Amino acid sequence: MSPDHFADHLLNTQSYLDGELTGAEAAEAERHLQTCAECQAFAATAADVSDALRKAPRYTAPAPLRAAVLARLDKEPVRFSPRSFWLGAAGGAGASALAAGFTLMLMLPPSIATLTQSVADAHARALTSGHAIMVASSNHHTVKPWLAAHAGLSPPVTDFADAGFTLTGGRLDEVAGRTAAVITYAHGNHEVDLFAWPDRGAGLPESGMALGFRTAFWKSGDMDFAAVSDMDQAAFRKFVMLARSQRE
Amino acid sequence: MDDRRRRFEAQALPHLDAAYNLARWLSRSPADADDIVQDAMLRAFRAFDGFRGGDVRAWLLTIVRNCWLSAGRAKQRRGHTVLEDSIVDAGPDPEETAIQTGHARRLEAMIARLPDDFREVLILRELQDLSYREIAEITGAPIGTVMSRLARARTMLREFVKEGA
Repeated sequence: MSPDHFADHLLNTQSYLDGELTGAEAAEAERHLQTCAECQAFAATAADVSDALRKAPRYTAPAPLRAAVLARLDKEPVRFSPRSFWLGAAGGAGASALAAGFTLMLMLPPSIATLTQSVADAHARALTSGHAIMVASSNHHTVKPWLAAHAGLSPPVTDFADAGFTLTGGRLDEVAGRTAAVITYAHGNHEVDLFAWPDRGAGLPESGMALGFRTAFWKSGDMDFAAVSDMDQAAFRKFVMLARSQRE
Repeated sequence: MDDRRRRFEAQALPHLDAAYNLARWLSRSPADADDIVQDAMLRAFRAFDGFRGGDVRAWLLTIVRNCWLSAGRAKQRRGHTVLEDSIVDAGPDPEETAIQTGHARRLEAMIARLPDDFREVLILRELQDLSYREIAEITGAPIGTVMSRLARARTMLREFVKEGA
């Protein structure tokens, strides 16, 4: 058995031992195991490891940690939900006015309310999916061409490590249904996303909060920019100032 | 208490122990595990509206794993050597010294020697009892990769145990 490659029959035996197979597949794997010395040796290895790990501790969350988690949740703002707000607002309107409203919304470029929600959604999605960074690099000479090639966009990319915001990479994302380039930064344990997409002449929202993230929007050159992060306000302002001041 | 908080406490909070166990085994340090879990629970809470149902535990563990990865990157940026401080600093934590028999300590050091990719699948399978599908979901690796990493992790760990015996 080569150390880096496991034959299919070994992996199949492993699946059987892990309870991943049922019915005819399990019966077949059991038969194979009875006759295959290699698989028997592997089964012994797996059993040894399982035995050893069975004695390993299963850690449980200490009480102070549980309390700390709850205390941090207490500090989270009660969320304003834009969707329910609009439904509520439209509730009293006549059907035709409602229909006209929707048509108007479809024709308009992403509305101001949608944009704030949309960049916060994209940021939250990226943080929880594990795909926050598609090209990992602290070198703007790597990130910029990657974004140009994948997003067709070429926003300025600057590392602000000296000011405490380290360039970590970039990714391709979608904001209000359109492609956006995202440049990612780290500030301590906080992640910052800098979104960029072509300016289509639409208005931009005021700075604000959505999903617990701070958001800021601005225009520069022929692009719209948005910064999103859960940093504190002072750090967030500092980042926005740095990002706004960069030039091609 | 708003509705989101109530749903979060009912659906996600029961998996706090699982979250801590994973963070503890991945980071090998009680202090780091604390930070990772706090960070993960907060992110999970903020993203909870976007959670469209399914397996809450796997979803939460995915966030824990991602927080562990970003904590590791942050440490590297600050010039820490993650491996060293965690092995040396298995630490005089009173709660732990009671549980941490010599066996557990040795075992932990052996698991620590596994490369991250192998270690995490082994932990998710053996210490969290997750299915291949769940492990694939959490690590973002295809099931075939999960299977071969798991086989590799087991073979390596068996070697370490033999050497150590």
